[in-house]
Amino acid sequence: MLAYVANLATLICINAILAVTLNFIMGYAGIFSLAHAVFFGVGAYVAALMALQWTDSLLLQLAFAMTVSGLLSAALALPALRVRGDYFVAASLGFQVLAVTVFSEWKSVTGGIGGLVGIPPATIAGHAFVNPMEFLGLAAVALALVVLLTRTLVRSSFGRSLKAIRDSESAALAFGKNVALIKTLSVFYSSAMCATAGVLYADYLSFINVESFTIDASTLFMAMVIVGGIGTVWGPLVGAVLLTLLPAVLTYLPFLPQTEIGSVQQMVYGLAMVLLMIFKPDGLMGIKQGEA
Amino acid sequence: MLQTSSLPTTPATLLEITGLTKSFDGVKAVEDVSLQLREGIITTLVGPNGAGKTTLFNLITGHLRPSSGEIRWQGTSIVGCAPWKIARLGVARTFQDLRLFSHMTVFENVLTAMEKSAWFWQSERATGAQRRERARQILDATGLLHKADVRANDLAYAERKFLSLARIMATDARMWLLDEPASGLDPRSYELFVALLRSEVRRGITICIIEHNLEIVVSISDRISFLDQGRLLADGEPEEILSNPHLSSIYFGERNS
Repeated sequence: MLAYVANLATLICINAILAVTLNFIMGYAGIFSLAHAVFFGVGAYVAALMALQWTDSLLLQLAFAMTVSGLLSAALALPALRVRGDYFVAASLGFQVLAVTVFSEWKSVTGGIGGLVGIPPATIAGHAFVNPMEFLGLAAVALALVVLLTRTLVRSSFGRSLKAIRDSESAALAFGKNVALIKTLSVFYSSAMCATAGVLYADYLSFINVESFTIDASTLFMAMVIVGGIGTVWGPLVGAVLLTLLPAVLTYLPFLPQTEIGSVQQMVYGLAMVLLMIFKPDGLMGIKQGEA
Repeated sequence: MLQTSSLPTTPATLLEITGLTKSFDGVKAVEDVSLQLREGIITTLVGPNGAGKTTLFNLITGHLRPSSGEIRWQGTSIVGCAPWKIARLGVARTFQDLRLFSHMTVFENVLTAMEKSAWFWQSERATGAQRRERARQILDATGLLHKADVRANDLAYAERKFLSLARIMATDARMWLLDEPASGLDPRSYELFVALLRSEVRRGITICIIEHNLEIVVSISDRISFLDQGRLLADGEPEEILSNPHLSSIYFGERNS
């Protein structure tokens, strides 16, 4: 039972990192991305490849995964953010579809549909994180750091510039904000931080394949942000907890046949989203006055 | 080509517009406008709706690109520069529809307007504490200090107008382009508003303002430029422009129709 709870808690931490980093661009920069799972996947693949072929050092894996993911995001953001904001959603969707194809077809690197298996546990200074409770601690520390760093950033002048751009791009320009650069940097930060979740995920499961990095995953992360409360500090955390626990809770309902759980889950998601948008459009943690 | 003439009667030209034209699908919103905005005075742009006043602002600030013509800031062409670069040169503006940072607090609105660089550090010497103090002073001067922590969205109409002004006061721009900043203000607010503008001009700010209310135009203008259908019809001292029967027939003719 303890192992079961620790497993869920670890997945919650990883999902929370994804939700917090996505909320950074959605909630503060007003950039809606449907490609968040791509950067999650890039982080995971980079870590897995490094672990299998070169080093199990977690810090090295993090450094490389963040760099690769960040640079890749700039390749998406630089052209996509030059046009008006709304087009970024479409561009990111295309990017997501493209990435899934690459993940499943570039067999020599990603292992194709079968993915990469037997990823050795990550180490810090020679200590391997094999024990699930230890790994939970690691994931929790990573989440805390991401939350803290993101919060600091949001409250800095950079954060204010982001929010200014979100509220009025033309006014932000008129006050000397280099909108295109600031947006690109925010996407870079969000994607690089998102990659840390990928690294943890690969090292934790010791197996990854494309199924965790599809458009479904991207929508799930977006749902976490919206359900919890977009543009709030605690919203994405609450959203990550709820949407990670939901499938687990459903399996405990005795009247549900095990084979139907998948479709029931989709219906619950859909219904919850509709009800939420009607009764609490700012998300569970959203307050009318706005946080920040 | 920096102007060095310092005759007391004719202040130096800060911004010089020559033969400026902007067409949208063949329709000329601004046509062959040449205009000089002189340092340390208030120039008012008047003219009926659709005269091209706001378009002229958008051309100056780089929000629109001119079809032809030249705009020089202190002698250097700024045509084709990005709006944020022009802003950093020292040209700040307000918008007719205000475009406040509506989900940010009043205080944050002013603070972010002050922060020229987007980074965690700021290039100027002022510390964070000094910037916050300055922001508070500006809010005090505009009567918004007690609303500092209120979201811009939740302000009353007149307060929004003053926040728009507070935001531009927070920049260290030398030239302000104000797009109908006083429209809809009650008389008391309007007095505070005029007093603020006057004190800023004494501080050395150059102002160009779009205004419809003739009472305000008379009380604040040092010079008036009259636009109609994209063309500059007249440019001169207030008495000269306002006493011209031809111009007033255009102005009031349009308004009554």
